Amino acid sequence: MGAPLAPAGRVHVTRILVLAAALLAAALAFVVFLQFGASDGFDAFDPLRAGLIFASTFWLAWGAFTALLGLTTQPPAVPRDPGPVRAMTAVLVPVYNEDPVATFARIAAMDASLRATGFGDRFHFAILSDTRNDEVAARERIWFLRLLADTHGEGRIFYRRRTSNKGRKAGNIEDFIKRAGAAYTYAIILDADSLMEGATMVEMVRRMEAAPELGLLQTLPKVIRARSRFGRIMQFAGSFYSPVFARGLAMMQGRTGPFWGHNAITRVRAFAESCGLPELSGRPPFGGHILSHDYVEAALLARAGWTVRVDDDLQGSYEEAPENIIDHAKRDRRWCQGNLQHARLIFAPGLRGWSRFVFLQGILAYISPVFWLAFLAASIAAPLFAPPIDYFPIEYWPFPVIPVSQVSKALGLAIGIGGLLFLPKLLILADAALRGRARGFGGGFRALQSTMAELVFSSITAPIFLMFQTRSVLQVLRGADGGWPAQSRGDGTLSFGDAWAASHWIVTSGGAVLAFAQWLSPQLVPWLMPVALPMVLAPVIIALSSRPSRGGLFLTPAEASPAPVMGLHDAVLRRWQAETVALHAAA
Amino acid sequence: MMDLAQPDQFDLDRLAEDLGRLPDAPLAMPLQQLESAPRRGGLMALLRPGAAWLRKAGH
Repeated sequence: MGAPLAPAGRVHVTRILVLAAALLAAALAFVVFLQFGASDGFDAFDPLRAGLIFASTFWLAWGAFTALLGLTTQPPAVPRDPGPVRAMTAVLVPVYNEDPVATFARIAAMDASLRATGFGDRFHFAILSDTRNDEVAARERIWFLRLLADTHGEGRIFYRRRTSNKGRKAGNIEDFIKRAGAAYTYAIILDADSLMEGATMVEMVRRMEAAPELGLLQTLPKVIRARSRFGRIMQFAGSFYSPVFARGLAMMQGRTGPFWGHNAITRVRAFAESCGLPELSGRPPFGGHILSHDYVEAALLARAGWTVRVDDDLQGSYEEAPENIIDHAKRDRRWCQGNLQHARLIFAPGLRGWSRFVFLQGILAYISPVFWLAFLAASIAAPLFAPPIDYFPIEYWPFPVIPVSQVSKALGLAIGIGGLLFLPKLLILADAALRGRARGFGGGFRALQSTMAELVFSSITAPIFLMFQTRSVLQVLRGADGGWPAQSRGDGTLSFGDAWAASHWIVTSGGAVLAFAQWLSPQLVPWLMPVALPMVLAPVIIALSSRPSRGGLFLTPAEASPAPVMGLHDAVLRRWQAETVALHAAA
Repeated sequence: MMDLAQPDQFDLDRLAEDLGRLPDAPLAMPLQQLESAPRRGGLMALLRPGAAWLRKAGH
């Protein structure tokens, strides 16, 4: 049993239609911009800028049409199988210098949730520590013993620390499989901040049992426990928009679905046979360990003939997310390097076409901001290279010919690109209101307010993310370290000083953009303000958005009605935090 | 039940290692091939040193 896959023919047609629509939108933008750019005389910058618009618009349109596709269907209603669960499943929790109290409390909560299903004895937990900090590791050992005592988990909950973290997370999982993989039919792979309902884990196992060709089943984890303004906006966006994007993706993936690295179940034998990752030849950033291993593992499972699927109807799968823009950008820096490294793998032997395209998408996600920035730079510099306007283009014609203004074309293009950005979100809002999904977000009016506020916030922060992503790409290409000066507090709050230290270069860049535009193309200044102003105000935006969120906006279903496993986690955490002082003193 | 607030009663590291030991059930995980051998056909062949470029060895 499980969410049925669409027939292969329909999947192919869907992919082709979405791809064609995205290419058409990009081509339209290309032509319109070329007409606009050439209105004052054709020069070398016009095709360059039009090409950059083509690439950037394609990426935007791809996302927009994926969302529109996701609105055309609903996740299938899958009947639940109440039968017994016989297979053994290992729940893998890789940790790396995380707070053991918070992480192990999640394990205690999931264990209690699993036991409540009656199938707790079919699941073992394995804490796979790659922690490099000895002090944190000492705390892990103490809290592991506390976890065992609390859950009576001896023989069901394991802990091992690797002496070297070779291969990072992928190497950590591989080490587990090589030591203990034969003891389990399935492995649920989590992150340190993952939380799953026991019933969801049982259902995942049942879906694997019902589909012997299924190598990996990915859930759509919802972000929970965000406290800051930034965190809660991201949490809202993830809960409100992501299911629709994931639905669209599910309709295009066929048997070649995604693996996002956590909150997924895999058939251990399939994973072991297919996913042993080699080091790539050459030096980092493109050689060495494969960083974004999850995409590669999904591609390798598909290459070996296994089905990889995302079941977007599965609820009860959660994760936590960064509380401020800087932490988000730090994580994004790692993902950027991993995705760009996939350029080495696009032509790996035997991969399915869709897997190659997924690699390309991952690369485009980070290259696309560079295209936008290059477009802006080229637009500011273009007047330097534009030929003078010829008011007398017709020989022997005594009257001047005033060029027709092409501003309407530029406006049309801007509206079209804005539409690709905003329309999918507005349609998701309308869909949520019509189908009743908005109730979980505080009702239709509250969802409308939250969506509008999210649109404003994402517009303001887009230039800041554009700068961070561009810097990440440039750093990766020249093999430089990320270099992050800012440290967030425990709750993610950033001071203005922290925010300034991490973003002063964005302020300088924003000021330079405005200064050059004023010097070279004064008529561009108003057009550039939506980009340049947030850049100049970056530290203020970063610091203010990291503050605790108050008010009723951005409510999500998990906040309005927390899942039972969240309640279990809270209860364990409260009890353990009361003991923290005593245990640390003992350590 | 052991009192974790009294660590001098036992060796915590040893205890965590003993109680945490994973089941001994090894499973092979062969390395996958992800990189093709460099191609020598097509345009690359034009760049390959031809007989005339090769230094002669011996007499």
